[in-house]
Amino acid sequence: MENKVKVCVENLNVHYGEKQALFDVCMDINQNEITALIGPSGCGKSTFLRCLNRMNDVIDICKVEGSIKIDGQNIYDKDIQVEKLRERVGMVFQKPNPFPKSIFENVAYGPRIHGLAKDKTELEEIVHTSLKKAAIFDEVKDRLDETGTSLSGGQQQRLCIARAISVNPDVILMDEPCSALDPIATAKIEALMEDLKKEYTIIIVTHSMQQAARVSKKTGFFHLGNLIEVNDTETIFSTPANDKTLDYVTGRFG
Amino acid sequence: MSDHLVESYDKQLELINSNLVKMGGLVEQQVKDSLKALDDKDTEFAEEILKKDDKIDNLEKEIYALAYKIIAMRQPMANDLRTVVSALSIANDLERMGDHATNVAKRVANVKVSMPSQSISKIVQMGDDVQNMIKNVLDAFIKMSEKKAITVWDSDIDIDETYLSIYRELLQMMADNPETINGCAHLLTIAKNIERIGDYAQNIAEDIHFIVTGETLERKSDNAGQWEDLDIKT
Repeated sequence: MENKVKVCVENLNVHYGEKQALFDVCMDINQNEITALIGPSGCGKSTFLRCLNRMNDVIDICKVEGSIKIDGQNIYDKDIQVEKLRERVGMVFQKPNPFPKSIFENVAYGPRIHGLAKDKTELEEIVHTSLKKAAIFDEVKDRLDETGTSLSGGQQQRLCIARAISVNPDVILMDEPCSALDPIATAKIEALMEDLKKEYTIIIVTHSMQQAARVSKKTGFFHLGNLIEVNDTETIFSTPANDKTLDYVTGRFG
Repeated sequence: MSDHLVESYDKQLELINSNLVKMGGLVEQQVKDSLKALDDKDTEFAEEILKKDDKIDNLEKEIYALAYKIIAMRQPMANDLRTVVSALSIANDLERMGDHATNVAKRVANVKVSMPSQSISKIVQMGDDVQNMIKNVLDAFIKMSEKKAITVWDSDIDIDETYLSIYRELLQMMADNPETINGCAHLLTIAKNIERIGDYAQNIAEDIHFIVTGETLERKSDNAGQWEDLDIKT
């Protein structure tokens, strides 16, 4: 059975000044699924991801046209509060980027500025739950006062995931979350993603096709700013409809 | 389709395919020689054929080793993965075909009783059709043509029918003339060997179809009914 559509992207065109980065991209992303975006560098997949929580707003020359609806509401509507949007659509980056604060404060920061906790007990509760959901609580519970940057790369990345889920988002965007991690830490993040999809909708940009094949239900292939093909991951990696996709997944692209 | 970015990957895939074609050529020759030995009742030639089976077996081992290496080192995707996985199955089928041809030669080399010539020529004719199947399936493989593969697949139905008619004829001969039982029983096995070679060629046709399209070949062949009237009158 297909899950319900969480994010509906229609005719998305993105320009950076004169340069067009995305061309008429249309894509439906299902709720409680992991969707992978693949494609060579510069294909537009990260630009696409950044449009989903309006990260591109901070770039002056960036112009976004078309519509992106989350639960039916266009996130580019004038009355949308960007801060509220980013509460609903969290992001995890390529390089783990904990704040230079304690482990506790890293996770408490979001709920605090969004006013999600009434008191200290509730804040503690949120921090603990988030760390548990990010499968790192057991490793850090006795050292919550130590700085986030003292953790290993894989732990830092899970801390960043805990930070992202602490504000109770619907959607989590991940931009190459494992590219700086070793295979063990990568496997832990992938296992975590499997778990998190029960509660969240996850969209991951990855350069590892094996990772896309392992974790995602659907995969979209981008090339030169176009979404060439999106389909069930199994189809994309076995019998893609488009020759460009086939060339890319089999290592023939050049 | 363009080449892989990594040239050595292309070379490995080419090697696996060229080894399969080489193996197919050896099997084709083995079948041809076995049929000639049968037709000519040439026991000396049959002995020579037996020695050639090793070459086919060794190529199978080489193809297996290469396929495992590619899977372990390259993690092939899509049509590349189908090519490598199917290579294992095709090599196995070719090896079985070689065994069946060798079994025919073994019988020719060792059986002393006379076998009815009229049935021998029918079996040799069926063998010619099977040889054509092998030739065509190798051609379909080289050209990666799913259409040619389907044609080969369909041609096995004729082989099965010929086999049934030979089976019937030999059974009747044995019932009518019990002193022919010994020779006819050997021929029954030889006919079965040749018929099985056709089945393996059909398997390879299915593999080719899968490599090219990613879908299994769905064809109907139902000759179950034909077995009903095989009981002979005694």
